[in-house]
Amino acid sequence: MSISPVLQVEDLHIDFQNDQKPLPVLRGLSYTLAAGRVLAVVGESGSGKTVHALSLLRLLPAAGRVSGGKILYKGENLLALCEKELRQVRGQKIAMIFQDPAASLNPVLTVGEQLTETLRAHRKLTKEQARQEAVKLLEKVGIADAEKRLDEYPFQFSGGMCQRVMIAMALALSPDILIADEPTTALDVTIQAQIIRLIKQLQEREKMAVIFITHNLALASQVADEVLVLYGGMCMEQAPAKELFSQPKHPYTQGLLASLASLKTRPERLPAIAGQPPVPGEIVTGCPFAPRCPRVKEKCRQSLPPLTKRGEHAVRCFWENKP
Amino acid sequence: MSACVEIKNLYKTYHRRKWLFGAGEAVEVLKDVTLSLAENRVLGLVGESGCGKSTLCKVLLGIEKPTSGTVVVQGQEVAASTPAQLKKMRRVMQVIYQDPYGSLDPRMTVRQLLSEPLDIHKLYLDKHERNKFLEELVQAVGLSPEHLNRYPHEFSGGQRQRISIARALALDPHILVADEPVSALDVSVQAQILNLLRDIKRTRKLSVLFVTHDFAVARFLCDDIAVMYQGRIMEKAPAEQLLARPMHPYTQTLLSAVPEVGKALTSEPEEKASGPSTGTGCPFAPRCSKAKEVCRQQIPTLVETAPGHWCACACLTQGETNDLKS
Repeated sequence: MSISPVLQVEDLHIDFQNDQKPLPVLRGLSYTLAAGRVLAVVGESGSGKTVHALSLLRLLPAAGRVSGGKILYKGENLLALCEKELRQVRGQKIAMIFQDPAASLNPVLTVGEQLTETLRAHRKLTKEQARQEAVKLLEKVGIADAEKRLDEYPFQFSGGMCQRVMIAMALALSPDILIADEPTTALDVTIQAQIIRLIKQLQEREKMAVIFITHNLALASQVADEVLVLYGGMCMEQAPAKELFSQPKHPYTQGLLASLASLKTRPERLPAIAGQPPVPGEIVTGCPFAPRCPRVKEKCRQSLPPLTKRGEHAVRCFWENKP
Repeated sequence: MSACVEIKNLYKTYHRRKWLFGAGEAVEVLKDVTLSLAENRVLGLVGESGCGKSTLCKVLLGIEKPTSGTVVVQGQEVAASTPAQLKKMRRVMQVIYQDPYGSLDPRMTVRQLLSEPLDIHKLYLDKHERNKFLEELVQAVGLSPEHLNRYPHEFSGGQRQRISIARALALDPHILVADEPVSALDVSVQAQILNLLRDIKRTRKLSVLFVTHDFAVARFLCDDIAVMYQGRIMEKAPAEQLLARPMHPYTQTLLSAVPEVGKALTSEPEEKASGPSTGTGCPFAPRCSKAKEVCRQQIPTLVETAPGHWCACACLTQGETNDLKS
């Protein structure tokens, strides 16, 4: 089954400038996203997952810089576009929702004003048409009484409702790709489940591709078709979701899955991964996971294992097939 | 099983002032909370944000005064204590907070941070004795003695949480209040801290009130679990039993929403979005799929449905069961 890719990321490198010294936070990330698929990018804080997402829309903070690689949207390199061309991509082709919905909305404008602003900036609509459209969008994301709530301010919405509004805004221009950066981390579990269901439903209905960024492996397993595990700015393992969760091959993925507390069992101790995650930008030779890896050998500390692909399953480890 | 903390019919009301000179609008944060923490056990308090978990901790620690009701810690009522009595009580009862970045003074070294409680309570005044004590203390939480001379910014989140735990243990308390101690930590570090908490609970024979929003974490650590919603205890039971046979529709909703590897995304259990509470009746009624007329009018009381298993749901008192559809 070959579906045409909507997004190809090739050998993406991102540096942050710190005291004249560039700190590498993303080191050679590559992946292909097919239309209508969900890719989960899983990683801990500082693994580079958010920075990578921001770079897709060229929204990196001033200190950040793409120092190498390509981001191809349907074959067109986004890194080569000018600001004006980018405006045609942002929102229309690729849209993004963020972790903290309440902080991403403008508190002094009504929800309706914010929604119609997006619509009218990109499409030729009268005020009345834009309003009609906005009502439809709010209904689409499951907000009851949409007509009335359009005139309310963000503070009158709960966290989950704010995230629904954010999703409505992201869907306003029917993008091909939705980037969801930890969209439920700030929400309660029951609300989280609702939002995840909503994203999944809309994704299937609109045939959108979704890049779902999260630190929560369990969530990734529920929404994703494909999972990419980031650690220390590098892809450690990438595979179809089912395969990754049933047969994780990288010691980091294995360790992470084993260390999760579960509702089903109550072990005497949780098999924790020792040590601390690396500081972002720290320059290491060898495998970034080596200092914490239970299977580490001398070779791991000296040279970086390549990302080797077998079928659809890619792993960055020397000992993947050896005991 | 004797209880070391007894909370009885606790109410706490805050007054939210809308205008500078206006009269406050009363917000009831805790409503009729009755809980007891048994000696040498871990009680998990599970609930969503804003349900009153942290307020309960504050009242328990004597930081906030209750509006009515009593909190008795080892025979002593917290709200009626004099400052001197409170000081004594705090030797017995210590706390760990959620945010390991905000809860440690950035200008103090670990040694100073850990010495402060000792100074306040005039313990280990001999220099050698104190050094030895501090070294043992940091080792007990998995750090090494050379860490004593460093500042908090030199540590990662997990290590900082270890320092917070060491600080709470410095006075060798009997009771530990842990307010979401692992929620701010990275996934790969959470397991380490959970293991550490379990170890120190055993070696030091602590009674722990463990506040969390994460049922999986509660299952690992807790002996008993109480579920809170909008300031009320909806259900409490031994952990194993609560997870095997959750009775309250809210507990069931919460449990089904917990994502787990290998668990399919639950289909919408036709749960209504949180409507405005009418002020009367069960606080969960607006969201409950089983809500009846009686739920909107009467506040259900906690009833013992099985030994040790308490649940506040009108459907149960009417002789029905809330068995999960299997």
